[in-house]
Amino acid sequence: MHLKRRQFLATTAAATAGLAAPVTLRAQAREYVIGASLPLTGPFATAGQMVAPALRMFEALVNEDGGIGGVPIRITAEDSGYIPANALANYQRALATEPDMVMYFGDSTGFMKLVAPELRGANARLMGSTSFASELADPAGNPYQYLPGPSYEDQFDILLQQVKDEGGSTVAFIFSNTEFGRDPIAHGRAKAEELGLQVVLEESTREQGADIPTHVTRLAQSGAEYCILQGYVTGVWPQLIGGARQFGLPTRFMGTFWGMENAIADRVTAEAGPILDGYAGVMPYRYFYDPERGPAYERFAAFQKTAFVGTPLENYLPTWGIQALFSLTIGVEALRRVADKGLELTADNAAEALSDLRDWDTGGFFGVPVSMVNNKIGTGRVYRYSAETQLFGPSSDWFTV
Amino acid sequence: MGQLLQFTINGLMAGAIYALIAVGIVSVFKATRVVNFAHGYLIMFGAYFYFTFAVLVPQAAWAPDWLASWQPGWMMDMREGLPMFSPLAAVLDWLANVPRILLGLAGALLCNAALGLVIERTLMRPLMGQSVFAMIMLTVGLISILSGSAQLIWTSDAEFVPSLAPNTPIRFALFGQTIFLFGADLANMVIALLIFAGIVLMVRYTKSGIAIRATAEDQSTAYSMGISVPKVFSRAWVLASTTGAVAGAILATRNGISPALGLFGFSVLAIVLMGGLDSYLGVFLAAMIVGVLEALTQWQLGGEWAGIVPYVAVLVVILIRPHGLFGAKEIERI
Amino acid sequence: MITGNLKTSYGADEQVLDNRWKRLFLFSAVLGLGGIAGFGNDYIILIACQMGIMVIAVTGVNVVIGYTGLMSLGHAGFVAIGAYATVIFHNAAGGIIPDGVLTLVAIPFAVAVAALAGIVVGLPSLRVKGLYLAVATLSANFIILFLIEESFSAPWTGGMNGINTPTPNLLGWALDTRREQFILIAALAVLALLGAQNLFRTRVGRAFIAIRDRDYSAEILGISLYRTKLTSFAISAAYCGLAGALFAYFYARILPEQFELQLSLMLVAAIIVGGMGRMMGPVFGVIIIVMVPEAIKVSFGALAGGGAELAMIRAPLQEIAFGALIVGFLLFEPFGITQIMDRALRALNRWPFARG
Repeated sequence: MHLKRRQFLATTAAATAGLAAPVTLRAQAREYVIGASLPLTGPFATAGQMVAPALRMFEALVNEDGGIGGVPIRITAEDSGYIPANALANYQRALATEPDMVMYFGDSTGFMKLVAPELRGANARLMGSTSFASELADPAGNPYQYLPGPSYEDQFDILLQQVKDEGGSTVAFIFSNTEFGRDPIAHGRAKAEELGLQVVLEESTREQGADIPTHVTRLAQSGAEYCILQGYVTGVWPQLIGGARQFGLPTRFMGTFWGMENAIADRVTAEAGPILDGYAGVMPYRYFYDPERGPAYERFAAFQKTAFVGTPLENYLPTWGIQALFSLTIGVEALRRVADKGLELTADNAAEALSDLRDWDTGGFFGVPVSMVNNKIGTGRVYRYSAETQLFGPSSDWFTV
Repeated sequence: MGQLLQFTINGLMAGAIYALIAVGIVSVFKATRVVNFAHGYLIMFGAYFYFTFAVLVPQAAWAPDWLASWQPGWMMDMREGLPMFSPLAAVLDWLANVPRILLGLAGALLCNAALGLVIERTLMRPLMGQSVFAMIMLTVGLISILSGSAQLIWTSDAEFVPSLAPNTPIRFALFGQTIFLFGADLANMVIALLIFAGIVLMVRYTKSGIAIRATAEDQSTAYSMGISVPKVFSRAWVLASTTGAVAGAILATRNGISPALGLFGFSVLAIVLMGGLDSYLGVFLAAMIVGVLEALTQWQLGGEWAGIVPYVAVLVVILIRPHGLFGAKEIERI
Repeated sequence: MITGNLKTSYGADEQVLDNRWKRLFLFSAVLGLGGIAGFGNDYIILIACQMGIMVIAVTGVNVVIGYTGLMSLGHAGFVAIGAYATVIFHNAAGGIIPDGVLTLVAIPFAVAVAALAGIVVGLPSLRVKGLYLAVATLSANFIILFLIEESFSAPWTGGMNGINTPTPNLLGWALDTRREQFILIAALAVLALLGAQNLFRTRVGRAFIAIRDRDYSAEILGISLYRTKLTSFAISAAYCGLAGALFAYFYARILPEQFELQLSLMLVAAIIVGGMGRMMGPVFGVIIIVMVPEAIKVSFGALAGGGAELAMIRAPLQEIAFGALIVGFLLFEPFGITQIMDRALRALNRWPFARG
């Protein structure tokens, strides 16, 4: 290894500084690793493929800010195909091969539940994910996993409340036959009863390639005024709404976070006409095009302009990317707080720092400061799609559940 | 009563598509004695080819504008002042899509036929005369190769493809219950049934159909009577892959495109065995029965139960009639 | 060099390890496994555990497909039954049976339940064979998973959410690390292989082979097809049940989707690649089936360095490689790797004389 004189001096100086600094007993890692599983193939490939470059951007930006406690980070992403067992294998492999892994980013409700009991002792890592599954927000049983927003159950509560406020009385749930789809259904049923709403249909469908005509027929016969869709990303839900519109059904559709992507809505509008007009749902964050967006988004935008020229990410960041970035931002924030205290970056320390996040300014992801309560951030907003502007616009103020 | 009728009709429409898929499996079996476990993935390729030629190609920069959306003057005039989701608007939407639908179908048919030929020549022919096990497992291996290749070529999932017929809603009252039908679904059913009938007639009356039947009866005798058995093999595969292409296009318009289309192959395989591997009539009946049972199960018990209907049905049938409803009993000589 | 069968007693003739090379091989294999347990890093242990579980399941598949000649595409269902039976037994008997003994009872329980399921699923084999049996077993796989997933069984199986699994405990020795679990898995895998080898030196084992070679002839020879086929399914399912029990202990949580058709196909693919109807077939097959995707993964990791663009084509390539392995072996080496090994060993034995 050839060191130039200046480099040598710098290294020596750094080493001396390192010795002088409050003594950390453990050898300082050269870099911290954040592992990730993404659905680069499989039913949710569209989402995974747009999130992957966002992770690269995140790595660059964090390192620009000096990494975590002066140590740079590296993100390694692997494909899971949206199969929980694959993601688990990825995690186990990362544990075995990356000794400096301080955090992991999971890609499905199924994976997060599958991995939860493995997070014990030396196998535990701080773990963010794409999932808003309610079961994951459980600091007592599982302090290492957190939600970067309100859980699906919370989102259902908000939507049902909205239905109630608009004077609705009947509601249908259509959901994919996956953990993701089923997660809030039982809770939603109870909540609807509490609000005096009648659940006239609970229909489970395949997560992709669902039999659209049959499901639309069922919806038509149920006569539901409102229909909440859960457990889809790119497919099925637009076709369902399209089918219902072609039928002239007056049903009003609603969705949770994963059905709120503007790019998908635009694609649907381009192919099938303005069928999504009036579609509403919960999106915890600001959209990327929000005129009031804060410094965090501006920084992403500047980076994207130069780094992703000629890709869809040049001028836009999908909600999925925002969610992944925010999830990682929370994790890194917690880890930085641990590093600032001069503690080791263990999962337990990180989990403790995580639960201390209170009234935290996120730099514009949300319009209000947020807090990590019970390992979730219960803040969000209802947006409604307008076919005219082709944008989701806010239809409620920021609220915290 | 009205409900029952609604779901029976839905089931029949799904059954017709099953029959169209099944006809490919039966034809290949009749000619080559190979049961193609990968037929569903052949269909998936048909769907992706349709998507390529009906959506990707018209969107390309070099494609003429009328290909993406055909807008002659008279159509613009008719469109004036129509409400958004009226039946006439749906028909006009469809008319604007006709050029790319035709291109999509033509492309899907040609490409899938070529794919079928390649598979037959490179993989199936070397295994002529091998054990059933080897044949089955070869097609099982083919599943992974096809689904992996599809993901390589068409990386992320694609959504809307233009439906083959105008998707106008049809509704009428029957026994005091409104019956809802999609226009495109009815048209799909008619297309599927016509193709099915055409193939049955072809196998019965044309020369190449007779060659297929002769080969099915006894390969070596057919050979000695001057029938080119390898040619029969290729023809059967082309037949299977082209019907598969149409089925794929229909499924793509109905359910959206995704690699999950390949899974249809397994439930249709169950249907084929239930009907009897070499009987067109039996397979047709089985497809309709399963289609209706599935729809009724969906209605009464929900989506999860509907998924296993074909598998339960085939188990019940082959326990009672080991060669399916109408299958010929194989006679084994020692 | 072996020049003939120079055996002087029945005892020598009946030996499983009939020459010292085989003995040497066995001892060095056991030594190698010990080495992995002692010195392998976490990653090697992880892969070795997965392989061990697979070897047991594939041995089970080998009994039905390789030795009895019955087609089955549904063995993942038996693995699922073994896994869920273990968990359910632990949850039900947790307070009644002391912890140290629980595992020792749960494993045989899981094996027995799986064997019973094997008999039920094997019933169609009495009426149909070949293709029809393949589809019947495939259907059984779908139905078993459906029964596990459905809400009526959710209180016991956790439904689609899956269920947390217990830690194995052998007479007070809690195997809570992968390394300790590897010892259990490796020991059981070796026992399972030896058991399979011995099975085919018994009356029932020879009956299996007779059925494979020609079922009608076997019947004429006085073998009850009825009983023998079901026995074959039961034994085979029992192996898969054992694999399932270990699977449950190895992973902290199990989900129904881990036992889908894909796993069944993988088990059959492993036996095709390894060599049907041979004791070492499962071992070689599993090594290839697990290592080839792993090798693709590692080489892509080196190429891509964590980048997503290349990672995107890795999974499809792995899938294609899996299919190509099946197709390639069927076309070019239908007897699998054991055949290649045999040829190599024969050539070595005779060296420097005739080869091949």
